[in-house]
Amino acid sequence: MASVTLENVSRMYGAVTAVDHVNLKIKSGEFVTLLGPSGCGKTTTLRMVAGLEKNTGGRISIGDNVVSDADKGYFVPSERRRLGMVFQSYAIWPHMTVFDNVAYPLRIRRRPDQEIRDRVMNALRLVEMEQYADRPSPALSGGQQQRVAIARALVFEPEVLLLDEPLSNLDARLRTQMGDDFRALQQRLKITALYVTHDQAEAMALSDRVVVMHGGRILQVGAPEEIYRRPENRQVAAFFGTPNLLDAKVKECRPNGGTHYKLEVEGQGWSGECHAATEMPKGTDVTVMLRPENLHLRQSGEANGGLSWAGEVSQAIFRGSHRSVMVKTEAQTLHVEASSLENVDIGRPVTVAAPAEAAWAVRA
Amino acid sequence: MTIIPNRSLDDIAETTPALGGNAISRAFSGGSLGRWIGLLLLILLLGFLTIYPLAMLLYGSLHSTPPGMAGEFNLNGYRSIMTTQNLIVLANTVGISLAKTIPSLTIAVFLAWIVARTDTPFRGTLEVLITLPFFIPPILTAMAWGMLANPQVGVINMLWRGMTGAQEPLVNIYSYGGVIWHMCQYSIPFLFLFMVDAFRAMDPSLEESSRMCGASRLMTFRKITLLLMLPVLTSSFMLSFIKGIETFESALFFGLPAGIKVITTDIYESINHRATPDYQYATSLSFAILGLMLLLVVWQWALLRGKSFQTVTGKGFRPNVMELGPWRWVTFAVCVLFFLISVVLPVGQLLLGSFFRFFGFYTYDMLTLEHYKAVFNNSEFWRAMGNTMLLGLLGATATMVLGAVVAYISIRTRWRGRSLIDGMAWLPWMMPGMVLGVGFLWAFAMLPGPLPIYGTIWALLLAYIALGTPVAVRVMTGAYHQLSYDLEECSRVHGASWFQTMWRIMVALAWPAFAVGWVLTFFGIMRELSASILLYSVGSETLAVVLMKLWANGNAEQVSVIGLMMMLLVIVFRWVQLKFIKARLSKL
Ligand SMILES: Nc1ncnc2c1ncn2[C@@H]1O[C@H](COP(=O)(O)OP(=O)(O)O)[C@@H](O)[C@H]1O
Ligand SMILES: [Mg+2]
Repeated sequence: MASVTLENVSRMYGAVTAVDHVNLKIKSGEFVTLLGPSGCGKTTTLRMVAGLEKNTGGRISIGDNVVSDADKGYFVPSERRRLGMVFQSYAIWPHMTVFDNVAYPLRIRRRPDQEIRDRVMNALRLVEMEQYADRPSPALSGGQQQRVAIARALVFEPEVLLLDEPLSNLDARLRTQMGDDFRALQQRLKITALYVTHDQAEAMALSDRVVVMHGGRILQVGAPEEIYRRPENRQVAAFFGTPNLLDAKVKECRPNGGTHYKLEVEGQGWSGECHAATEMPKGTDVTVMLRPENLHLRQSGEANGGLSWAGEVSQAIFRGSHRSVMVKTEAQTLHVEASSLENVDIGRPVTVAAPAEAAWAVRA
Repeated sequence: MTIIPNRSLDDIAETTPALGGNAISRAFSGGSLGRWIGLLLLILLLGFLTIYPLAMLLYGSLHSTPPGMAGEFNLNGYRSIMTTQNLIVLANTVGISLAKTIPSLTIAVFLAWIVARTDTPFRGTLEVLITLPFFIPPILTAMAWGMLANPQVGVINMLWRGMTGAQEPLVNIYSYGGVIWHMCQYSIPFLFLFMVDAFRAMDPSLEESSRMCGASRLMTFRKITLLLMLPVLTSSFMLSFIKGIETFESALFFGLPAGIKVITTDIYESINHRATPDYQYATSLSFAILGLMLLLVVWQWALLRGKSFQTVTGKGFRPNVMELGPWRWVTFAVCVLFFLISVVLPVGQLLLGSFFRFFGFYTYDMLTLEHYKAVFNNSEFWRAMGNTMLLGLLGATATMVLGAVVAYISIRTRWRGRSLIDGMAWLPWMMPGMVLGVGFLWAFAMLPGPLPIYGTIWALLLAYIALGTPVAVRVMTGAYHQLSYDLEECSRVHGASWFQTMWRIMVALAWPAFAVGWVLTFFGIMRELSASILLYSVGSETLAVVLMKLWANGNAEQVSVIGLMMMLLVIVFRWVQLKFIKARLSKL
């Protein structure tokens, strides 16, 4: 398996910039996910790596070989890049059996029959589809088609595996299971995988690193937990779940001993401690991010350290695993994920509390 | 495969050749040079098939002498077509086409509704029977009806006289009514084929929700069903109307003898039926009719702009079928009646005519096989048969290959010139066969000496390819639209070259549509008369031309025999198509 390097890769469609100076290095055996809202350029990026789309700027390398260099006009066509790809539609050829579909990359390369049989059956075994080898491919369910598509992408031992929203056509339960299976397979075979999705839960569960994209640009690259807990800006913060974003001003800033800084901030009717990635001078406007699951409801007036807001319950929705509670405070309405056992009455005065570790500040 | 191109077609447009040796050497080493040459050849071919005859039409209309002779340029041709008589011809053409389109559309809608939306028994078989007349060359039914409804010796009138003792004939096919009657027989199955899938694909939940909102069945039909079908109905109407203006056979057989002229027969007459053929008049008239067609096409676009057929398609539902109770036997009878009138009657007449010594004298002692012998000993017949088969096989194959390539380029690539190619391939769509025939007449005559196409079978072949290309492109476009890009790209990513992908994926998946188009084109060639009759010469006659000649000589008996042979061919081809190609299609 090989690494993939994108240097200043861009793609213009006429005057529209679909991908804008993307820099990314995927290590051998690493699972990297491109994540972002629809239309942010994920598919275009993936297709440029695949050689299905030509980058109008920058350079793409697979392993040590440059496969596309816009400035030099150099371009290796798709079929010579030794890739495997799983399409969103699976692209299972309807006129072939399962076996023929998977055998295709080998037949194209004129491998001997015996080798084809062994390798196809091996690949089908990996995805637990060997008993379906002789099925005509239109007679497969969505999940089965997806497995065949993976087997086909892996059969030739490609340099890199590319996947474009491979789970989005499956129902929710199957999606989780197929995702977990695929992650296990990827780790076992140490496949270099570039994966595209708009589903943040999927991205976090599967990837070694997540690349958050917006408007053709990379906003942040990092491990799932890093990106979830310590986003670099407001856009990334807002992209995961529905965090509470509060405006505040920096009162004091000092290093916390680690790689972060500790801030004293003051907002509308509240003040307290939070963390940030960079040093921020006094008076800087910041946005403080608080995830609903890290907020707690207390009896009115009761607060012990950390951050707290006084307010009253304006809405409560029972969601089974938890209860979404809206608390109206002087600053803004806060969204709290409370235990589903907790009994909350509309209009009741409460205090919302959060530990300082849960509050993350970015420049507004 | 010697050249394995390493870039897909769309790259041609995107690669702006950079300066320096790199780009130049790449352009000459890879497949791109080959591809440029291929595209250039394609444009030249299409240009020769469509633009060139069109240009020659303009040239000829301004030229005072017949093709290939020295003359001067003037506007006499256009002056000579500006007559009151031609106003009548124009009114006839438009009027007849309207008069046949309205009843045809009504009946076709009714038949389509019966087959697609009711529980009429044997609907599958009925559908095959109803559409059969579409595949029968109109010249055959024209001749059969000429015999059936001849005012003096037609079977219908003889029976009528025998039963009622009347002196006057019941029907006279040589009349406006006769022309329209004959046109309808071809239009109805054509419109039926065009609309039946739209009826079938309509999502019943759209109608059901209207019922739920309190609308009655009739109200629902008016406010929902009809409005949903409106785009299909409008385009069917326009298509049928345009085709009506282009038709030749009905007016030739039943109009001319009664002095009813339409534009196509007027063109034909001015070349073939005058002491000195008036080419300038014919060409000017041809060019003028193109103007009319262009107006109609623009009107069609304006009508259909923004309305898509998508409104009636849906997925994952079973079309709800109306239960008619005992009435379903009535609808069944209606379909059978249509089949009887449009197929059984004319074919029966051909059978009848072929076994009796003289047409019109149907007595026992007149029975004979001599016409069969005569036809089988007629070398002209066999030559025409050979020509028609050769032209059909070659023409259908070449047309479909051309259509497949044009459709591929125009919808699968991003090459900038693709709309040019698409437009050129579409041009013959608005050229009636007669007009294209006149255009090619000039085009071939004006070719330089070393290209002696004029008067050979290749002249017919080229004309047929030009006439068939628009439909071929449409069929293949539809087929490609159903194949997602992913299927192709997936093959490329997994190591297949462009050629390998074409062969193993696109050809393998699109061949059923190709085969359907091929059979359609073959039928088209077999029934083509208007261009053939202008472009044939001794030795390159087709079956249709031979039929015309025999008919003109009053040999209705041999016409019947040859007609039956053609009918047999039609049925065999249609059977093969239904049996083998449909089965493959449904498997996909
Ligand atoms: N062939 C194309 N022509 C013009 N614009 C395109 C084309 N393909 C993609 N785009 C534009 O590029 C942007 C990125 O598209 P895409 O990569 O498909 O987004 P994503 O996969 O993240 O949803 C979109 O704004 C889209 O409209
Ligand atoms: Mg996408």
